[in-house]
Amino acid sequence: MNDIRLWQLISPALPIGAYAYSQGFESAVENQLITSEDQAYQWISGLLQQSIGQLDSPIYLRLHQAWQSKQYDDLLYWHRYLQASRESSEFLSEDQQLGTALLRLLKSLSDNEDKFFQASIEQIKEIKKPSFLLIYTLAVVLWDIDKLAGLKGFLWSWCENQVAAAIKLVPLGQTSGQILLKKLMPAIDTVSSQAEAIVDENIGSFSMGLSILSAKHEQQYSRLFRS
Amino acid sequence: MLEANKSEQDWQAHLQLEYSRRPHGTVLSKNQHTGPLLVQKPLYPEHKEICHSYILHPPGGLVQGDCLQLDIDVLENAHALVTTPAATKFYRCEEKVSKVIQSISVSEQAKLEWLPQENLLFNESLVNLETIIKLTPESKFIGWEMLCLGRKASNEKYTSGSCRQSFEIWRNDEPLYIERSHLSGSQDVMTQPWGLDNKPVSATMLATNCDKEVLLQVREIIEEHNEKTSISVTLKEDLLICRYLGEQAEKARSAFAAIWSIIRPITMGYNSHNPRIWST
Repeated sequence: MNDIRLWQLISPALPIGAYAYSQGFESAVENQLITSEDQAYQWISGLLQQSIGQLDSPIYLRLHQAWQSKQYDDLLYWHRYLQASRESSEFLSEDQQLGTALLRLLKSLSDNEDKFFQASIEQIKEIKKPSFLLIYTLAVVLWDIDKLAGLKGFLWSWCENQVAAAIKLVPLGQTSGQILLKKLMPAIDTVSSQAEAIVDENIGSFSMGLSILSAKHEQQYSRLFRS
Repeated sequence: MLEANKSEQDWQAHLQLEYSRRPHGTVLSKNQHTGPLLVQKPLYPEHKEICHSYILHPPGGLVQGDCLQLDIDVLENAHALVTTPAATKFYRCEEKVSKVIQSISVSEQAKLEWLPQENLLFNESLVNLETIIKLTPESKFIGWEMLCLGRKASNEKYTSGSCRQSFEIWRNDEPLYIERSHLSGSQDVMTQPWGLDNKPVSATMLATNCDKEVLLQVREIIEEHNEKTSISVTLKEDLLICRYLGEQAEKARSAFAAIWSIIRPITMGYNSHNPRIWST
């Protein structure tokens, strides 16, 4: 397993612009739903377990499997399924922009002679707006990163991004942010270990409040984060 | 569910509807049912182009073990509007679930307006609610689903039921909209602000073939409705998604009906015409 490559893949310094999005957090603060460290924790851990954990994590496993076994139909299916599950225009376009940026970066970092990589990108060339996980799982397979470590890395970077938004918006101190991250660690473990058990029929999320907030964020008058 | 688990009292109802386009308009070309789920007759309150149908469920609600299956096929060039005269009630269950499975297909150049009243889940009900809508690139759809957890009238909260709900739209065998929820009395999703925020009524309205222009008009209507905090609209490619989260099913219904009256002339080509049954 290739630890160091994973650290690169989930680094906040990875130039794909993930820091520009708050995933509804900004709208929740604007509507005074999050005003403390504890509420920030409830918000992030709830979404991690019941939204990301029920949708993104089982799809991560399926996309990873599809890349590894070259089941390209499955790859397209789960990519589309993920995009059909995005609750709002801004969530969909965030997913597509991060996916596109990561693919561009991957191309710059890859060896042109790498046959697996060339064959892989050939398979998805029809997809104009790839979802982030479609490309993230390609990187995990390409860079020989352990499957479960890659999933935990994805969950960690999602949490880290939400915590960064909390620090800016609530606002919270840097130490508070680190305490939050520490408290989220057990949930990352739980979510990643439970992902295997989720059957196809149960993949999907339902977060009505977040969906409404995200749609409102598309119209929010003054924003720090992108829509 | 195993056959052996079914008691003789379980209602297993199945209704199949098919709409076809004839030279003089849309006809209900197939109307077959077994068990208590039926359409009495096609109605034409507007004109012959649009066939209205009321789906009746005479028992008035589902008890445990009941299963209602509805198949709707809107064939090429036909236009159907389907609604229900009352909320679909789901009563308390002891162990077996109550199921509603709806499978809808809208062919090329066909139009469907799927405007049922709300699903009303009594406390301690166990519910499985599946809706799948299959479209083609040239079919048009407007529809909604409203869920009411617990009976507000008797101050009943949904503290110990369980509901698995899915609502999917597919176009050309590709997923266009997927929503799947598992709501149970004890979970965070019921109480957290990102979830249902302790509100009993959640509703989603979907319309295809929409654009930015429609989005702006719907935003205006939402602001006029003075329900800014609980209604939202977003546009994912050509799919317009409106959501309501609040206290009253009537509010969801009246807001969605107002939005429908904006969208209908643009995507369906007709002014809105509220089914008379809504006002009874």
